Amino acid sequence: MKKYDQMSSLVWLLFALYICLESIRLPLGSWRDPGAGFLPLGSGIFLGFLSIVSYLQAHLSRSEDVRDSWYSKERWKNLILVLAALLAYAIFLEILGFLLGTFLLLIFLFRGIEPQRWAVAIGGSALASFLSYAVFELWLRTQLPKGILGL
Amino acid sequence: MDLLTNLQLAFAVTFQANNLFFCFLGVLIGTLIGVLPGIGPVATISLLLPSTFHITPVSAIIMLAGIYYGAMYGGSTTSILVNIPGEAASVVTCLDGYQMARQGRAGPALGIAAFGSFIAGTLAVIIIMLIAPPLAKFALKFGPPEYFTLMFLGLAVLTYLASGSMLKALMMACVGIFLGTIGTDTISGLERFTYRSYTLMDGLGLVPVIMGLFGIAEVLLNIEQSIKREIYKTKLSNLLPTLQDWKDSIMAIIRGTFIGFFLGILPGGGAVIASFGAYAVEKRFSKHPEKFGSGAIEGVASPESANNAASQGAFIPLLTLGIPANVVMAILLGALMIHGIKPGPLLMKHHPNLFWGVLGSMYVGNVMLLILNLPLIGIWVKILKIPYPILFPLILLFCLIGSYSLNNNVMEILIMILFGIVGYLMKKFEYEGAPLILAFVLSPLLENALRQSLIMSHGSFAIFLTRPISLVFFIVSILLLVSPLIPGLKKRPKGGDIV
Repeated sequence: MKKYDQMSSLVWLLFALYICLESIRLPLGSWRDPGAGFLPLGSGIFLGFLSIVSYLQAHLSRSEDVRDSWYSKERWKNLILVLAALLAYAIFLEILGFLLGTFLLLIFLFRGIEPQRWAVAIGGSALASFLSYAVFELWLRTQLPKGILGL
Repeated sequence: MDLLTNLQLAFAVTFQANNLFFCFLGVLIGTLIGVLPGIGPVATISLLLPSTFHITPVSAIIMLAGIYYGAMYGGSTTSILVNIPGEAASVVTCLDGYQMARQGRAGPALGIAAFGSFIAGTLAVIIIMLIAPPLAKFALKFGPPEYFTLMFLGLAVLTYLASGSMLKALMMACVGIFLGTIGTDTISGLERFTYRSYTLMDGLGLVPVIMGLFGIAEVLLNIEQSIKREIYKTKLSNLLPTLQDWKDSIMAIIRGTFIGFFLGILPGGGAVIASFGAYAVEKRFSKHPEKFGSGAIEGVASPESANNAASQGAFIPLLTLGIPANVVMAILLGALMIHGIKPGPLLMKHHPNLFWGVLGSMYVGNVMLLILNLPLIGIWVKILKIPYPILFPLILLFCLIGSYSLNNNVMEILIMILFGIVGYLMKKFEYEGAPLILAFVLSPLLENALRQSLIMSHGSFAIFLTRPISLVFFIVSILLLVSPLIPGLKKRPKGGDIV
């Protein structure tokens, strides 16, 4: 974990710097009456300090990395596919509507990652879309987007 | 006399038809998600949170609580039959439960897990009824400094008990505190880190953050590796433990109940720590510690009782102090606040129906769970056979609906996806999500308590040291945080030590 701990500590250090820089743009107040930037600045400073300690701890550690990679070299495409599908769903949800959008997303997830038979993919997607629509829209009255189908 | 009146109220509320229905729904969903690996109570409760807006607060909390302790029952089934914990609090049950299944004793293992959980759940409800009223009365003495140091203690305990690096857990608590400050500052009305986004003005939503960190991240991790579950094929006809099984496990159940209950109350504790703690104690108490890990029934009875007692004990700090002891309680705190109810010492006085109704429902819920988990075990085993490639699109669908339906806002889905990626990376680089979430939920309360304390003391931090209750909380927190630096105290209790 040595290399990965160093990498992640640096990322958190950068994040801490961002928090501090943004916090000082807010009123910090005084000790007697702390302002809106007081706690975020405190958390940023403390996170920065801990990130430095974590980096040094990893740097001084004698243990060497056992893993050669933090992600699966064979199956990383699955992650990208799922994330892309979720992003596309979020972007097109209001245009396509809940029923159509969900049906298409599920077909993709059933077929695209570990391909199921078409009958399972289409039947499962249709059933899950209609059931969730019935539960959330019709029973619980959640206002799901209607989209081009107007449903 | 008071207790009897309270009991009467508890059962009167619980036995109202709608509350009974939502209690059943809660424990049913809880068992289901407990059985299914890859979706836990945290993600499920946050997913169902928006749907509870349409029901009464009492029914809502009864259902959400049922999901939590129901998951503790369901989790054992997967641990015993598949050797994969259905949820985190059942990790340790795999050790002896699966070995018992391999020896053809899956029935008694499942039976003792259910009976142990039932006994623990029942005892826990009785203890809560006895100690919650005096604790709430005591909590009326709390002012902002006491609340601040108590929340600080909660975060210190959680980082101390973190299964990985304590340093990393502390870092996550800092990130959580920062995330909790996003939105409009309640004191000055100023916007913080919102970049003029309407979605962020009310702060980051708890549901999308939790769904991302726990739901989406878990799916991403699972689809990266091919999961093949092999259910141990064994006869499930004899679910009733024998007299010898009872003799071996009754003390383990009682010890597990008390250990679990008190670790559950502890801010930052919870069912996972409780199950590991109870297992470790049982192994130490046992005349045959060498049998642990090779199918000892005490090794199933003890952690299963502990995780159930802990899941119910965790309600004490939430209902009496208004402070969540763990992530699930943090979501329930959010649920109560959404319903316009402020948990704390006055909850019992202002909303007795809710307080006693939830406690009563836990007892009734435990009876329902016993029925659901023993005679109907066959159904859960069938559900276990659903392959992950079919399950994960459905988990994602629930996450999407859950985060969208909170405010009917697509931005919440994008926030969830972002936290899904962050959660995935956190798991890969061994950072824990629990301290982040607890700090995120506590952040607004912590900030208010800190600012009010400093205003009270005219800017002096000595206020935390001059008031006795706050001094005690403060000293314990500091001791926990510096303990890894003290020689001889370096070894912290954590899950990894036992497995």
